Amino acid sequence: MAEITIRKRPRTEAVVTQRKFFKKTARGKVIKVLRERYLRDDVACGIHSCGLCAHEADVLLPSSGSLHHASFGDGHFVLPDTNVFLSQMDLMESPLFSPPIILLQTVMEEVRHRSLPLYNRLKALVKSDDKKIWTFYNEYRSETAVIREEGESPNDRNDRGSIRKATAWYNDHISLARPPVRGQARPPLPTVVLLTDDVANRQKGEREGLTCMSVTSVRRYVEGLPESSQLLDLLAAAGSDSIEPTQAVAARQALYPDYLPTATLLAGIKSGQLHQGHFNANAYNYLEGSVSVPAFEKPVLLIGREHMNRAVQGDIVAVEVFDEKDWKAPADEVVDQEATLKNDDADDSEEEGEDDEALAERKVLQTELAKQTSTTKQPTGRVVGIVKRNWRSYVCHIDSTSLTSTNPTSLSQQTVFATPVSRLLPRIRLRTRQAPALIGQKILVTIDRWERTSRYPEGHFVRALGKVQSKEAEQESLLLEFDVPYRPFGKAILDCLPPEGDRWVVPPKSATDPNWRDREDLRDLIICSIDPPGCQDIDDALHARRLPNGNIEAGVHIADVSHFVHPDTPMDHEAAARGTTVYLVDKRIDMLPALLGTNLCSLRPHVERLAFSVIWELSPEAEIVNVRFTKSVIASKSAFTYEEAQIRKDDPKLTDELTESIRLLNDLARKLKAGRMAAGALNLASPEVKIQLDSSESSDPIDVEQKELRETNSLVEEFMLLANISVARQIQETFPQTAVLRRHLPPPKTNFEKLQDILKKRRGMTLDVSSSGALAASLDVCVDPNEPAFNTLVRIMATRCMLSAEYFCSGSVARDTFGHYGLASPIYTHFTSPIRRYADVLAHRQLAAAIGYTPLHASLHSKSHVERVLEVVNKRHRMAQMASRASVEFYVGLALKARSEKETVIEDAFVIRTFRNGLGVFVSRLGIEGLVTFKCEIQFDADNYVITIPSGGQDVSIAVFDKVKVMIEVEQDKNTQRGRVVMSLSHPIDSRGM
Amino acid sequence: MAAQLVSKSERAYIQASLQATPPLRGDGRGLLDFRTVLLETGVAPLANGSAKLNIGKMPHEGGGGTEVLAATKLEVEDVESGDGVDGGRVVCSVSWCAIRSIQLEPIVQLTKDSSPSAYPHLSSNALDELQYDLTVILQQTIGHPSLHPQNLTIIPRKKSWLLNLDAVILADAGNAVDALFMAARAALWDTKVPRTRAVEYQAPEDSQTTRDSASAMDVDNREAIPTASGFDTREMARTAADFELPDYWDEGEVLHGRERWPVCITLNLLPPSHFLDATPPEEASVPLRMHLMYSFASPSTPKLQSMRLLGPGELNSAQIKSYISEGEKYARELFNALESKLREEDVRRNVKARDRFAQR
Repeated sequence: MAEITIRKRPRTEAVVTQRKFFKKTARGKVIKVLRERYLRDDVACGIHSCGLCAHEADVLLPSSGSLHHASFGDGHFVLPDTNVFLSQMDLMESPLFSPPIILLQTVMEEVRHRSLPLYNRLKALVKSDDKKIWTFYNEYRSETAVIREEGESPNDRNDRGSIRKATAWYNDHISLARPPVRGQARPPLPTVVLLTDDVANRQKGEREGLTCMSVTSVRRYVEGLPESSQLLDLLAAAGSDSIEPTQAVAARQALYPDYLPTATLLAGIKSGQLHQGHFNANAYNYLEGSVSVPAFEKPVLLIGREHMNRAVQGDIVAVEVFDEKDWKAPADEVVDQEATLKNDDADDSEEEGEDDEALAERKVLQTELAKQTSTTKQPTGRVVGIVKRNWRSYVCHIDSTSLTSTNPTSLSQQTVFATPVSRLLPRIRLRTRQAPALIGQKILVTIDRWERTSRYPEGHFVRALGKVQSKEAEQESLLLEFDVPYRPFGKAILDCLPPEGDRWVVPPKSATDPNWRDREDLRDLIICSIDPPGCQDIDDALHARRLPNGNIEAGVHIADVSHFVHPDTPMDHEAAARGTTVYLVDKRIDMLPALLGTNLCSLRPHVERLAFSVIWELSPEAEIVNVRFTKSVIASKSAFTYEEAQIRKDDPKLTDELTESIRLLNDLARKLKAGRMAAGALNLASPEVKIQLDSSESSDPIDVEQKELRETNSLVEEFMLLANISVARQIQETFPQTAVLRRHLPPPKTNFEKLQDILKKRRGMTLDVSSSGALAASLDVCVDPNEPAFNTLVRIMATRCMLSAEYFCSGSVARDTFGHYGLASPIYTHFTSPIRRYADVLAHRQLAAAIGYTPLHASLHSKSHVERVLEVVNKRHRMAQMASRASVEFYVGLALKARSEKETVIEDAFVIRTFRNGLGVFVSRLGIEGLVTFKCEIQFDADNYVITIPSGGQDVSIAVFDKVKVMIEVEQDKNTQRGRVVMSLSHPIDSRGM
Repeated sequence: MAAQLVSKSERAYIQASLQATPPLRGDGRGLLDFRTVLLETGVAPLANGSAKLNIGKMPHEGGGGTEVLAATKLEVEDVESGDGVDGGRVVCSVSWCAIRSIQLEPIVQLTKDSSPSAYPHLSSNALDELQYDLTVILQQTIGHPSLHPQNLTIIPRKKSWLLNLDAVILADAGNAVDALFMAARAALWDTKVPRTRAVEYQAPEDSQTTRDSASAMDVDNREAIPTASGFDTREMARTAADFELPDYWDEGEVLHGRERWPVCITLNLLPPSHFLDATPPEEASVPLRMHLMYSFASPSTPKLQSMRLLGPGELNSAQIKSYISEGEKYARELFNALESKLREEDVRRNVKARDRFAQR
């Protein structure tokens, strides 16, 4: 038995044992916080076979450290300071950077204090298997604990005390742990190397007697590694400053105004003089951006580089709004960064403030100002500071013209431009030694900083993704660009799966079996599933039968995912972090491991599966008489595709039970839909196309076709809506504070202003947006008898004016904002696809608790926890949609390229926007949008949305909603190797060369 | 102070022995001798300043003596909402500790107003009065504008510190007022005000804005914009109201003018003689007591901050004058002793503790 002694701590030791600090609360109060600290002598060093420390952990640093560094032949460990993690995280994460690392608690805490995202990356790094990192709790080991000196800043204390002292201690400890054996030469001792870029810290360390070589800068250290040429590129740009102090920064002319200090910003925002919001770059005009702020109905417009002041898409910025007399209207011209700035030189662009490019930009802005008509003005302002940077890694191409040397063997360091794939981002300047090799590749680049003296942000190369246009590279770049987590599931997650693996079956029915507890046996019901072809994750199945009393029993059976995914397990956390399954054209990124998604949870035919059933008693008019929820066991009788189900239903010869049940369901669905439409549900449209893949192996797209919608699609949809609404009511009633619901806020009327104006002026049609029902009705009459596609086009444009639906926690918003605008339902949730959506898993758990099947996990009682989870899910959901859309676009591009090699591609298109120098068009057959630009002078009537093109005597006018023919080519940008779709008019006028 | 019940004969005995030549006191002290004073600062880690003071502890008996605990706590106050006062304010309070009686007496009494151990013989009404009297003395002396520390302002006209000085009399074995003031002085001496940095947002001048938005503007126009007028009160609204803690680890700076905090010396008057540091029976035996609160901004500039006379006796102005000058002498001695102890405490708690830590 271990002896337990309680030692009373005398107050005289307070300075050692107590850590006091102040905290300012959100309400502006100042609190004094006191932490007790207990020092001990048995905090382990983490080095394998250390004679002095007892180790129990299995992750240990090798006893001789790493032997691969040129300067440390006797082996070494690396002990990085905080700034190394703050600025060189990419280096640390690189698989090539493999020395054993000692991570001090002080460093970890300081990283957390300075940057939460980096701290999370650091935590992931510590956990990853391929890194040897030992966390040393130096603040709790009595020899390495330090107390703060009078007048010492926290940073100095950390540097002095914690980091340097720990390094010294480690080196002592290693030599103590390996005493020389008499009669033998003392074995070489590995060194602990303090890695720091802080010159002062380095000098102090050397003065304090840490051996000269054991304190080193990151750059010098990396240069000694075998893979240095590749690793050096990963160094953040900031790291190069101390090494190459080329020019005094002050000598350069500042191109941007300075940011206000953070505290000032917050004070300004608090007092209402500044406004905070997300920065949105304008995809059509790189010299313009906007920030939506609560104080104004319209977003605040930022015109010109100086006013955007180094904000990057997604950053949270603070803007100052000008006086109303200085407000401007957004530009109506397409300004392409590449066209305007093509001669910019990566090396010396900042040297002259008034170079040609700056002048060119100014000219563009001025012409715009001059041409500006009295169109609606909106709040205009400038960015005065950044509240939070949301920089991540961006997928880019190297701009080949910015290279000084294209010699493929050249290893000299060059400064080059990387052009991000997204049009919303500025070019990034980076230094690399591998520039020639990276041409024609997709690469990942991180922005490090954006000085006010530099026109472009500076970044560093992270890794190459592969050749441009190769499917793997494109796919990965898509996933990275939309921040989709796509790593394979880790061991801890797979350990949560049932141990039987794919041999798991529903055990035979018995009263004692836990799997059968409180489950209804529905195996005899005639249940089937209807899904798109090739669907493997079957979430839902249906049944319907007539009851003796004339009513109809209908059931929706959803895969019982919550039976397998338990709260607060690694699998649950991973699913919550992924939020949703992402469907790309040729790949699916699962939210849950495939064993569950496509097998154990998937309601496949002819096998018994666990389900969560919603069973209604409906009147023949499809009114709900009664609804109940139950866990069940089902055996689906068949899995149809939409097409098969349709054919079966329409075949009069078939009268078997299954077919009858489909017909019954279909009848009900028609009535349900009619009811929904009468209540004012919207029939929205978004361009949906399907990519025809040649075969599963080659996955070369042959053609693009529009998705066909059958009656059976609507059948499934109606019942899913019904189930979701019923479940939403139930969980909201039981858990009014934390129910997981989904809502669609009514769009602000101003969103429709432009569309209403266009419709009125071009077609004489009115759009009534007073309610969803009125909108639905007025959309129904927006038809052009000659052009059936016109109505769809209007619907697409109306859809774009709306807000997107979102998950929310019922206790967090007002009761009257629960409604789902598009579905015209007062309450809604997602329940029917737990395999591919995490919100559904939560809804399942809440419903299970609501029917008393299981108690609700504590986390689902916490409003803040639910809110936090749903925030992630909402973001992932949005990203997943964008990723799938981008994936479709990429394949459309590939298909177009293949087609245009055989023939000129000419497609019908609608004009959806007019610019001073071009047209925005929508090609409905391909579901893509494009831009037709004119170099020659054209007349532009912004009020009437008409442009007039002079063409050999007679002018041709084109207006919004006009149908034109466009010629589509896929052109590869010579500089960036980026494939892009280029459109030009072919009818009513051939605009090539114009 | 609180009249302890002594019989007439007891009182006559004590008075007679004090007036004898040489004067005799129950514990063998001279008339002007203090009992042992024990002081420790920094006893309450969560307070901004604290001190515990004991007069007359008997080491062999493991207790006894007058014991006072004083602590200061700083609170942020909003001046604009009317809660606080521009420049900060000092609020004092004195109370009794009830803990000891809780330990001793049955639990039933906890719910009631259990009589505190410092004055077990007093009724709760009398206690309230006593408590109020002491609070008033402390508040009127310590909270006097002439002693107000200058660094209680966070943002002028917006935010300021409220300095709460709370003193608890744990036990009264005579001379509680002197003990109270010493403890208060020590706690205030020990008080550290967290360093704050005012944060403001200064909207750029209009000329700047217009110049930025229209680069083509003429130079002449710029000069035409009138310079800001002195009557332009909009400027005042622009300095926005918030502050930050630049260093959350730092305890902060000491209160300005901390050497000015007064000490109290109580003269127990038994004409023609007087004596210091009375025990409770002695307190009950004198007709008149005089509290003199002296502040020493420097040893050569004594300042009488306040004075109280307690008891049924009478004094003429010549006597008062002589007592005041006598009192100044004692106060100076007490002040010097306290001052050196406080500085010693500072060293003990910081430098020495660190050295000891470093030498482990």
